Amino acid sequence: MPLNIIVCIKQVIDPEIPASQFKIDPGTKRQVQGSHSLVISAYDQNALEVAIQLKEKQGGKVTAISVGAATAATALKSALSMGADEAILVDDPAIAASDQQGIAYVLAKATQKVGTFDLVLTGCVSGDWGDRAVPAFMAEELGIGCVSFVSRIEAKDGQVVLRRVVEDGYELIEAKTPVLASVISDDTNTPRYPKLKDIMAAGKKTIPTWKAADLVLDPDRVGSGAARVAITDVYLPLKESKCEMIKGDTPQEQAANLAARLRELKLI
Amino acid sequence: MTPSREIYWNIPGHIFLYILFFPFLIVFLYGMYRQVRRLLMGQPAGVLDHFWDRLRGFVEHAVLQRRIARDAVSGLLHLSMSWGFAALFIATCLVALQDYFGIPTLYGNFYLYFMSLTVDLFGLAAVAGVGIALVRRYGAKPDRLLKPRLADNYGVLLALFLVILVTGFLIEGLRIAATADPWGHWSPGGWLASLPFVGFGEAQHATLHRLLWWFHAIVAFAFVAYLPYSISLHMLAAPANILLRNRERSGVLQPIDLEKAERFGASTIGQYTWKHLLDLEACTECGRCQQVCPAWTTGKPLTPKGVIIDLRDHLRLVAEGGDSRKMVGDVISHDVLWACTTCGACHQECPVFIEPIPKIVEMRRHLVMEEAEFPETMQQALRSLEERGHPFRGTSATRTDWAKGLGVKTVAGNGRPDILYWVGCAAAFDERNQKVAVSLAKLMQRAGVNFSILGEEERCTGDPARRIGNEYLFQILAGENITTLNRYGIKKIVTSCPHCYNTIKNEYPKLGGSYEIVHHTEMLADLTRQGRLRPERRMDGVASFHDPCYLGRHNGVYDSPRRLLGAIPGLQVKEMGRCRERGFCCGAGGGLMWFEEKIGKRVSWERTEEALALQPQVLASACPFCLIMFEDALKVKGANETTRPLDLAEVIAQSVEGSD
Repeated sequence: MPLNIIVCIKQVIDPEIPASQFKIDPGTKRQVQGSHSLVISAYDQNALEVAIQLKEKQGGKVTAISVGAATAATALKSALSMGADEAILVDDPAIAASDQQGIAYVLAKATQKVGTFDLVLTGCVSGDWGDRAVPAFMAEELGIGCVSFVSRIEAKDGQVVLRRVVEDGYELIEAKTPVLASVISDDTNTPRYPKLKDIMAAGKKTIPTWKAADLVLDPDRVGSGAARVAITDVYLPLKESKCEMIKGDTPQEQAANLAARLRELKLI
Repeated sequence: MTPSREIYWNIPGHIFLYILFFPFLIVFLYGMYRQVRRLLMGQPAGVLDHFWDRLRGFVEHAVLQRRIARDAVSGLLHLSMSWGFAALFIATCLVALQDYFGIPTLYGNFYLYFMSLTVDLFGLAAVAGVGIALVRRYGAKPDRLLKPRLADNYGVLLALFLVILVTGFLIEGLRIAATADPWGHWSPGGWLASLPFVGFGEAQHATLHRLLWWFHAIVAFAFVAYLPYSISLHMLAAPANILLRNRERSGVLQPIDLEKAERFGASTIGQYTWKHLLDLEACTECGRCQQVCPAWTTGKPLTPKGVIIDLRDHLRLVAEGGDSRKMVGDVISHDVLWACTTCGACHQECPVFIEPIPKIVEMRRHLVMEEAEFPETMQQALRSLEERGHPFRGTSATRTDWAKGLGVKTVAGNGRPDILYWVGCAAAFDERNQKVAVSLAKLMQRAGVNFSILGEEERCTGDPARRIGNEYLFQILAGENITTLNRYGIKKIVTSCPHCYNTIKNEYPKLGGSYEIVHHTEMLADLTRQGRLRPERRMDGVASFHDPCYLGRHNGVYDSPRRLLGAIPGLQVKEMGRCRERGFCCGAGGGLMWFEEKIGKRVSWERTEEALALQPQVLASACPFCLIMFEDALKVKGANETTRPLDLAEVIAQSVEGSD
């Protein structure tokens, strides 16, 4: 059965920059980009890979959607070069400062505007804030089921079988479509390296930008005014290390003192 | 009485020779036609520039055979045979000169000294050459001939040679015996051959002579006819290949016009240029490339000779109707393609200037850009290049962390310097190599060199991307760098990375970036010679220098590093067996820095063992990749306490008082 798949991708500041380079703007409480590059959040790439593999097997169509600034077009281009058929950018100052629920609402509206869909895939956690909130909110908005931490998806008898990774193994979940899944990495969904002809073809494709008006958004549900979550502070964790010498005349005495000290600190 | 002999003695019907030759000539020409048609399957290539330089190279390597002579035994046997036959052929032509134009070549001193003595000695040399060749090929059987497979039908060639030579001498001997030639002893070969026939009767002499003469002619013609169908083809294809050789440095890869290209790399044999195809046909299967190949010598399936002859056999099958195998994957396996370090040892060694590297890279280009099928670790490196402009994924450093507290200026804030220090990604991001950058910066400061760095504006030169096969990414990175360098009006660059050096020096000019670039060993050697750096502190012990492929073999810088080591008081410099032009790769070139060697022994271990045999305190190099490889290998070998891998900048810094 052909599957129409929506993949939500987010452009983030390269999460692999050295820790010393991580800067937070005290005003906006957001990370400063500086000279660092923008990349697709890692698990979103796994989601894309899962979608493209499914399409290759089942037929259908992959549409990548990103809510973000104009720069996110580059992320969408690389989604196209990997094998997405279409890409849509949702960029409007009115939605810029939305919280997780707001973004989920926008993504859901955009998904509905695309038309029929069987699967909605997202990364299981974003490379910047790491809230893991959008997938569930989005499923709620769309009124469909949500399976989180999925590494593989197979189509079977008009349904989909999702392999959900849990702490000590995995669960196989059968679901009727449409369904939303948040994707986690495993060795079957390593994002493919794009072929040059696909990169070049992606470069020539135009990516439509949808505005708030295009999606007929309820203005009370997006933007900073609608946000239910307010960030009060963001800071780099402080790492402190102290060194304490354990005294004792003989090794036995030192060992005993060490044990006593550890017990005192409630470590053993 | 003037010394002479009767022309065509005892052969009244010699004119029929030409009629006899005709069918053999047809067979020869047909073979050559097929050969040319095969070459024309390839893409166009311009090769006829710099004619006089090409001719000079032709004389040096096809006529004087300098590269062949680098191996004494095979040099001797090849020179004996090729020059022997050349002399005999010239003599035959000179006879024709007398026959048709009446120029008396068979008279007087010229007859005695040249036509008899000299030519005969050449003929004897050829016999000896054939003898040595037979013993070598079928008796001694060196690995380089035997593996991966022994060439077909060299035996036929040698047998034909032997028959032609021996019958030639017998004919001469019979004539000497029959005519009681008073100058017979001037032809030592013929004279020796005459001895058994002295007692024969006149009729016996005449019959035997005539029979052998025609037999000799037929065998010689058969050899001509056989030539285009056998390994003997190298007698024509190899000199042609030397004349049409690539005149660029071996480390240079050719750009693709990405705007116009319809395909990227080569997936079928006809996608190579005809010059590449000529390379395949010119191969004599001598296996010298294989003997020096770091992949082959450490047990990998890659042998440059194997790549060339496999492609050649594939070409011939395709030309004759088809080969169901895919070139990339079946004829040449992926394991072969990802084993090449592009060290250039095979290019350096080949007596007939065959180039395996571009053939391998063309296939890599196909795999990377068209199939996106290549090792995962290399994909990671290329992704990092795309996203961050450097291949060191997961580094905890920034491009300028190493320079903290050193007062190193960036071009952005300080305008154009006398010289730009191109740091390179390895020295910026790899912890071990940051120390090299620090040493070099301090040395330059001490010597009063006015330098700056690009800092965050520097990108990888694109060397690994290009050699892994992603020409597209290479051109993007190169373009960004050239734009930056030109914007600041940079004229002169120094770098501590031979890979950056090679790319900026030899590959950027074709993309619009021409700069004067020196390697830091060249600069430090100059500063030392000028007295601006004085390595005065004693360093006792033994040091050995490992030639980085992209500094030495690919760019000819051998002496500056050695001058630097030699300038340090107390240090005893010992050379490894494989040094200078024959330096052995560390294993990290050609993008293999980002490849896990799973087959055979690690190239870096092989090289490190060779160095350790000298029991050096210092294993000096001048390349960040070599340094990383040696750091690892010495630890594995448990020798990192006794032998320190150092960059030459670090060695000099230790000896220059107060610079660290």
